[in-house]
Amino acid sequence: MKRYDCLQALAAEVNDALVVSSAGAMTLEWNSLHPSDGNLRVRTLGLCSSIALGMALGLPHRKVVALDGDGSLLMNLCSLPTIARMQPGNLVHIVFDNEVYEASGSKKTATGAGTDLVAMARAAGIKNSQWAKTGDEFAKVAVAALRGSQLCFIGAKVSTDRTAVPPFPIDEVENKYRFIRHIEKSENIEIFRTNLPASYV
Amino acid sequence: MTAAESAKIIVNGLKDAGINLIATLPDINLSDLLREVEEAKGVIHVPLCREEEGMGICAGGYLVGKKCATIMQNGGFFNSNNAIVSTLLQYQIPVLLLIYYAGDIGDRTFATTGGLTEPVLQALGIRYYIMRDIGDAPELIKRAQILAEDSKKPIALLLTKELLGRRPALTSL
Repeated sequence: MKRYDCLQALAAEVNDALVVSSAGAMTLEWNSLHPSDGNLRVRTLGLCSSIALGMALGLPHRKVVALDGDGSLLMNLCSLPTIARMQPGNLVHIVFDNEVYEASGSKKTATGAGTDLVAMARAAGIKNSQWAKTGDEFAKVAVAALRGSQLCFIGAKVSTDRTAVPPFPIDEVENKYRFIRHIEKSENIEIFRTNLPASYV
Repeated sequence: MTAAESAKIIVNGLKDAGINLIATLPDINLSDLLREVEEAKGVIHVPLCREEEGMGICAGGYLVGKKCATIMQNGGFFNSNNAIVSTLLQYQIPVLLLIYYAGDIGDRTFATTGGLTEPVLQALGIRYYIMRDIGDAPELIKRAQILAEDSKKPIALLLTKELLGRRPALTSL
């Protein structure tokens, strides 16, 4: 199974969901398939699931998708029990497991030696945790997760193939501003408040 | 001032400053404060397994419009450093870091942790204020949140035992 094909299936169904993606080639692939100011690229390895949890708790009526990797999730396994404890029904946590630290020189991760991330998610308390074994199966469970209102964890074993796509065009601060402006507009709320200088008050 | 009274004042101060998402990890000296956070209305409370994930949760919350704080021990602040640097500082995200100051003067434990807390905050360029007088707490919390939003950075408030009502005050410190 290729990650790019899975992302393509997801892009067709994601609508206005907010998408947080772990550092690495996956972010570039996702942004080429679904460019949006509602996408956030994560720079801290492991933090993808936690940032997505914060968004899901802060905007409970909006779907939030975490696009995670095996190396990333292995670094922040404790996000699984925290997510399970908070049970955000609007969070879909997807892990593309290629069994290597792809962005760091393709050394093997522990999942290549048998660690089962879906079993870990289930054991942490995320009941709706499953492997998608084929592209068709991935599309089916991802669509069900996006349309449903239950916390879901989806694992997909993918090859290490990368698809040639353009680089991510903006830096972290621009990503933040664009993302927040996107939230302000789509949710009709004010996040950045510009106060008058003290001399005017 | 008892620990329970002090906890109420701090949590009310956080709410008055607009804080509505708080991620926490316990320390015995934070017990009363965390009990107050659990019971606070209008605040999303996220109990953590490790403090670093709290930085991600607060970042995510901020990006969708929440005002976020974490409450942890200084050991937990050390645990969080990579996320503070490559998420909070890199993306310029304001978060209040309420850090219990273990190893402060007079403590019988964590002297090394206490001794390195302020140097690490300084190295990260995080402005911090040591809280010793509960009377100052509401105003200091409010000002810290204003500074966090203005500077678009995390601001640390170091919570001492005397602030938390767990030993006599030393007003001249």
